[in-house]
Amino acid sequence: MAEAGLTSKDLAQLSGTAELMERLWAPCRFGCPVHADVRSYLECIAQGRFVDAVDVIRRNLPFACVCGRVCHHPCEANCRRNDVDSAVAIRELKRFVAEQAGAKEPAVRKAAAQDRQTVAIIGAGPAGLSAALELAKAGYRPTVFEKFPRAGGVPATAIPVYRLPRDVLQMDVDWICAHGVKLATGVAVGKDKTLDQLLSEGFSAVLIAAGLSRSRPLPLPGDQGAGVHGALEFLTAAAMDRAPALGKDVLVIGGGNVATDAARTALRAGAGRVRMMCLEASEEMPAFPWEQAEAQEEGIEFIHRRGPTEVRRAGGRITGVATRRVTRVFDEQKRFDPRYDDGDVSIVECDTVILAIGQAAEYGFLAGSTVKLNARKQLEYNPATCQTNVPAVFAAGEIVTPPGSVVEACASGQRAARAMDLFLRGLPIVLDDVLPPHIDKIAPATADLVRKVRREPVAAQPPQVRRKNFAEVDHSYRASTALHESRRCMGCGSGAEVLTDKCAACLTCLRVCPFDIPVVTDVARIDPALCQACGICVAECPANAIVPRGHEPGWLGRLTAAALAEGSPKRIAYVCGHLASQDDWLARGEGAPGVREIYLPSMGAIATGDLLAAFEQGAEAVFLLTCQDAAERYPSATVRLRKRAAQARQMLKAAGIKSNCLAMFELTRFTRPAIRETLAEAVAKLAAAKTKAKAK
Amino acid sequence: MIVAKKKLIKEIAESLSGCKRVLVVACGSCVTVCLSGGAKQADELASQLRLAARAAGGKLTVDTDCMERQCDREFVSQLTHDPKNYDAVLSIACGVGVGFMSELFPAARVLPGLNTTFYGAATADGVWEEYCHGCGDCVLAMTGGVCPIARCSKSLVNGPCGGTTKTGKCEVSPDMDCGWHLIYERAKAAGRLEALRALPVQKPRNWAKDRSGGARRLIHKELTNPEDGR
Amino acid sequence: MSEAVSKLQAELEARHFVVTGEIGPPKGTNVEPCLHEAEKYLKGKVVAVNVTDLQTAVMRLGSLVVSSLLVQRGIEPVFQMVCRDRNRLALESDLLSAYVLGIRNVLALTGDHVALGDHKDGMAVFDLDSVGLLGAISTLEAGHDMGLDSKGQPNVLDGSPKFFSGCCVTPCTDDVEMQILKLEKKVAAGAQFVQTQAVYDPGTFETFMRRVEHLKVPVLVGIVMLKSAGMAKYMNSSVPGVSVPDQVIQRMTDCAKDDREKVSVDICGEIIRAVKPFCQGAHLMTLGWDHLVPDIIKAAGLA
Repeated sequence: MAEAGLTSKDLAQLSGTAELMERLWAPCRFGCPVHADVRSYLECIAQGRFVDAVDVIRRNLPFACVCGRVCHHPCEANCRRNDVDSAVAIRELKRFVAEQAGAKEPAVRKAAAQDRQTVAIIGAGPAGLSAALELAKAGYRPTVFEKFPRAGGVPATAIPVYRLPRDVLQMDVDWICAHGVKLATGVAVGKDKTLDQLLSEGFSAVLIAAGLSRSRPLPLPGDQGAGVHGALEFLTAAAMDRAPALGKDVLVIGGGNVATDAARTALRAGAGRVRMMCLEASEEMPAFPWEQAEAQEEGIEFIHRRGPTEVRRAGGRITGVATRRVTRVFDEQKRFDPRYDDGDVSIVECDTVILAIGQAAEYGFLAGSTVKLNARKQLEYNPATCQTNVPAVFAAGEIVTPPGSVVEACASGQRAARAMDLFLRGLPIVLDDVLPPHIDKIAPATADLVRKVRREPVAAQPPQVRRKNFAEVDHSYRASTALHESRRCMGCGSGAEVLTDKCAACLTCLRVCPFDIPVVTDVARIDPALCQACGICVAECPANAIVPRGHEPGWLGRLTAAALAEGSPKRIAYVCGHLASQDDWLARGEGAPGVREIYLPSMGAIATGDLLAAFEQGAEAVFLLTCQDAAERYPSATVRLRKRAAQARQMLKAAGIKSNCLAMFELTRFTRPAIRETLAEAVAKLAAAKTKAKAK
Repeated sequence: MIVAKKKLIKEIAESLSGCKRVLVVACGSCVTVCLSGGAKQADELASQLRLAARAAGGKLTVDTDCMERQCDREFVSQLTHDPKNYDAVLSIACGVGVGFMSELFPAARVLPGLNTTFYGAATADGVWEEYCHGCGDCVLAMTGGVCPIARCSKSLVNGPCGGTTKTGKCEVSPDMDCGWHLIYERAKAAGRLEALRALPVQKPRNWAKDRSGGARRLIHKELTNPEDGR
Repeated sequence: MSEAVSKLQAELEARHFVVTGEIGPPKGTNVEPCLHEAEKYLKGKVVAVNVTDLQTAVMRLGSLVVSSLLVQRGIEPVFQMVCRDRNRLALESDLLSAYVLGIRNVLALTGDHVALGDHKDGMAVFDLDSVGLLGAISTLEAGHDMGLDSKGQPNVLDGSPKFFSGCCVTPCTDDVEMQILKLEKKVAAGAQFVQTQAVYDPGTFETFMRRVEHLKVPVLVGIVMLKSAGMAKYMNSSVPGVSVPDQVIQRMTDCAKDDREKVSVDICGEIIRAVKPFCQGAHLMTLGWDHLVPDIIKAAGLA
């Protein structure tokens, strides 16, 4: 247990319980390079608030649509549900909301005024555009120069369209530019303008975010001449619809994602046979496992542990590649240091070679500038301040960081933007890279008690179909699958927090928790690494000493007040949201007349006092509808709610109020017609009882 | 732990007749633990009183407050509401709290919201049972921990009457254990029957140490102040 | 060996098998009917007549008064005293009063709990338990009371009583070990005779009698007349420590309504015959069927 304990005084000094969630991050957020509030947007999705979800995502991640397709999802690797059944499909969910809801209502929050200095950014990739967005939101005027005719960087030039369609990328680029970012495509800095000119012509600072756009060369005898292509050059040409003609038998040399992209693109471009050859064994290949799997399904053969020695030609045409066996790729310190067995040689037949052994930077943009390279031919760069040797010139992205993913580049760009903001305001560049601690792994005993739910599979085009075209391989989730999958999120960190000064160690929370989580010594302590956020202890604690971090105090009262404000008759129904559709949550379904439905993530959180409060707020009738799913997800929650409803009825009766106006229904079939029928019957019953009473 | 039960709302409402502003004060000790008088119960009671007033065509302002314990004067500083501003203070502490608070706030009208009952233990979730009578002369060593004064309906000290039912229950109620049946079974299970058999005749109790001696007092001289005159 | 203070004591000391009866005072001042019952059916037939003390916690005319009235009519009472209603001061005082009124036999009982009776809101006193009451009797007989004078010494009485004191026991309960342990304490505190709760099974009673042999105190077996099969079943389910065997219930079930009294008398007679060898007397509780006492005595072969 890391925390000492929160008191009610501490809580009173915070802006809200949400601040508590900032102090201890869920591992998904911690592992995300831009630290998107994953829990929060999954909660939005679970409750049908798809547009809100996009807002939350875009607070940290400008490339929501792109990442929804291509992100390597460290969030999912960190997802604590891995130890229960399987990780929540966070990337798929992001894709679903970003492309569907985000397309319809892309909320753009421009700065009130953009009147600060101008900034030039070289490279419209994820790093550059993310930095541009941050600067625009802070009131600066960024212009992004991109040498290619299209913006997007690697997503535009190297990621194939079957993985990332162009219109999807364009959604992100357009959204970013809508915040006041100027984009100048087809402008190559160093050629059309020099970097120094940018500074002298009025830009107060420059950000180099040119990335790695060149394939690393692999000098081999016979590599000069037709038929040998660099993977990035090949992919970029394909992206610009100018793919070079390939032969029928393609060999891609390399084991990374660029290699698989090149191989799968070559296949779709019409090659008869495509094979990949790499130094690594299967389990060592740096390409994402799902890329490897999909490539193999499409018929691409992998040749492992072979290194190229020569490109064989006959009459100028390539006939094959001579290879030798690789004995090891990494040394004891896991550094890249391949060794070979020159006695084990063979020829791999092919007529085309694509080299995908790595990416390198092109420094054309430095022509005529005072920005220097270091001894290793890389940009001179200070990671603490993001500056090059010229104070006003900064760098971000793969040109200075190790090769990474789109989201890592976004993070790098955002950090550089923070540095530039300090610089432009004349302040010393001191960046706080410290992160809050993250929640621990879930204990096996608790993981055992969490109900297992299968992860929603992603439908993919069958391999024999998709290998022939560039249409998207994976289909998106539908709304129903998105709702179901997002509800697998355990809401790590949004659960119960004990106010130690109010806790009487009465043991009630310990006795009611379905997951055996509270530990009571001097006071109760509820481990955020274990709590499943069902809300039962909050509702039962006699000292009001437990607060739910995921809800601000008074949240239910506010929802109720809003519902009651909608007019007469004043009847509300609290309904379990676990199996509810988006229409249910957003009150777009056809309900029983005269009843306003309020959907809740956990009915177990409704306290007796909440029921009384609803009547105090003016409700004439309160109905409770639970679903059969919730009873399984949070054991005992339904039974306890039933007891609290009985207690509330008793208290209402003693106060002189007819207790039949509070009724609970445990639905076994949770459909819109069932809900409507149940509520209509309940209303009719009440009306009949009223008439009967009047007649007396 | 002191166990207390909520008074009927009708009785409370009657005692509050004529009041327009009421302060309900919860206690964070025993009554929170037995779920009768904690901060949550204060909120519920306040709601109930307001609803009852409304149902009767009137209006009652009810605020809530809480103290760590109402039997120690220092905790009065935790109150965020001034009893002076209310027509009545409805204390949902045990009777000790009600009585003590009425002393601490002589100008206020302090009323009880609970009926204080017994000293008890939590024998099952949601269940508390009487274990001690506060007789002032503990004989639990003799009976292996089962109190014959509290748990025998007749407080017999020499053994059971003839009223134990076939299922070991007291003649008073079928769900009440016969205390002496428990004592016997406990001794049997612990292998201490010989000690039970060897008990001599127990002389009549000194009830002066109990309530019959009048209101009792405990003094720890090591902590008293001469100025307090005790 | 001191002189017997009552006929009951004398008979028991002479090792005669004694029979005692019982009457319950009225709920009110109309005492004549119960005195009449005692005179008509019990006088001369039984050696002494118990007078119950607010039995089952139902308010009635006091056993002290009725016992005294029995003395006046030449019938020897057994003055029953329960601990439920009076504290030690009142109990000691009533003992002195009883002695002055000529009462000599006292039965010290715990008493049924207030909750069983008709004044359920009343306080259950139980200042003394039955052992304590027997101890109080012994103290008074020794010329003292339970209090202390200004010097902290036991008070000295101006005139002290002498009683033949008894107690009760429940011989046929599952918790019989505890009953025996308590009986030992009652005897240690001064009990000189025992009247038992209802017995219907001679076998169980014999086992019990063997276990209390060492106490060397005379025991009068309790005989409660069965008025119907229903009453028998009720006793089985609701009266602690009383067990009516199935065959006995069957006899009540099988007999015609008019024959019930005879069958009941026969049952009582059989039980007494069976247990006579190992106890010292029988205490008859007829529940209003006092007119059958002579028949029971005859059926038991005691006439």
